[in-house]
Amino acid sequence: MNTDINLLSHTDEETLRKNKSTKIFNLIAAVFLIGVCLISVSIFIMISTVNAESKSIRKEQADVLKKMSKFQDRQVKLFILSNRVENIDKLLQTRRDFPKISNGLLVKVPSDLSLSSFEINDSSVIISGESKSLLTISEFIGNLTDMARRKEIIKSLTLNSLVLDDSDNTYVIIVSSQL
Amino acid sequence: MNEKINLDLVSLKLIFNRNKSYIYSVIIILVSIILFFQFVIPQFNALLKAQEEAKELSLRLEVLKGNLNVLTNIDEEVLNSRLKTLTLALPVNKDVVGILNSLYSVAQKTGVSFGDFSFTVGDISKSENDDNLPSIKISVLINADVKAVNSFVEIMSKTVPLSEIKSIKVEEVSSTVVLSFYYKPLGAANYRQDVQISPLSQRGLTLINELSEFETSSSLLQLQATPTATSSGQK
Repeated sequence: MNTDINLLSHTDEETLRKNKSTKIFNLIAAVFLIGVCLISVSIFIMISTVNAESKSIRKEQADVLKKMSKFQDRQVKLFILSNRVENIDKLLQTRRDFPKISNGLLVKVPSDLSLSSFEINDSSVIISGESKSLLTISEFIGNLTDMARRKEIIKSLTLNSLVLDDSDNTYVIIVSSQL
Repeated sequence: MNEKINLDLVSLKLIFNRNKSYIYSVIIILVSIILFFQFVIPQFNALLKAQEEAKELSLRLEVLKGNLNVLTNIDEEVLNSRLKTLTLALPVNKDVVGILNSLYSVAQKTGVSFGDFSFTVGDISKSENDDNLPSIKISVLINADVKAVNSFVEIMSKTVPLSEIKSIKVEEVSSTVVLSFYYKPLGAANYRQDVQISPLSQRGLTLINELSEFETSSSLLQLQATPTATSSGQK
């Protein structure tokens, strides 16, 4: 007969195991709860510290602004100054230098060619002149052709017309160029 | 007696009784998780926001302190003189008097006389707040030859208020020059007290020096007192 059979012992082990897992569960629950509380309190303290810091910065800022209000005139003037500089610089950089263009072209007009009209706008120039000598006309065209080839002031050259006026024996020339 | 037995309820009760000891722990864990998501994470976000705000405030304070330093140490006379030069060059509004004075002064300097001239100013009190530079276009008929017109245009380009030649048409009897005089209204919306005030750049200083010479050469102040150039009409 087997006398080692103990049915109660099995129950105790189960109870012990159950108690152990209950303790573990309780511990986990406690860690969770305490953890959440600690994190929450820490964050709250940090927020309070940051807010206090912000408050002191705001106060300091108000002091600086108060001091600055005495110099508001100067500040506005400086604002206008930098605004003007920026805009004037932009304007001067984009402004086409017409005097340079017209001087550059007029230099190339031979002395015995009289200009009857000279027209420049943003994109083109039209020159009309007259001379008794075809050589002068040729020299004028040659000069402008050189300029157009070198892309100096003008980019292209078109001979619009070259007419001989029989009445006073003069050649009338009209040329146009793209700037 | 034939009472109905709800087996699900019985089994639930059985499960409850068997796991009764875990229930409180599980509830606490669940509550902790809910608290974490409902309170801790938003609180953490609030902390980040507060830190960001504090950082911005701190930066703004530094800018303001810097600005105060610049404003305290600035020479008001120099500032006024520069401002005068720049606003003469690029007025804040439609400076019709300044435009006429500069035209007359340049005409006097170059010895040209005006024929008809026309310009459209529009509402003088109204200012455009555009990004581009608004301008007043003026067409001037000049009774002079090509050299005088060229000289007029050359001096005009170095005269304040700043203008830009749009076209030149020189003919035998008279010439027509079309100019645009620029102005720039101040955009109040752009003005902010906490924007860093930086000292004027080297380019800015050079520009002011150049413009000061413009003002001297055109001798506007003298001419304002004695406008002598001829003009035959105004449309």
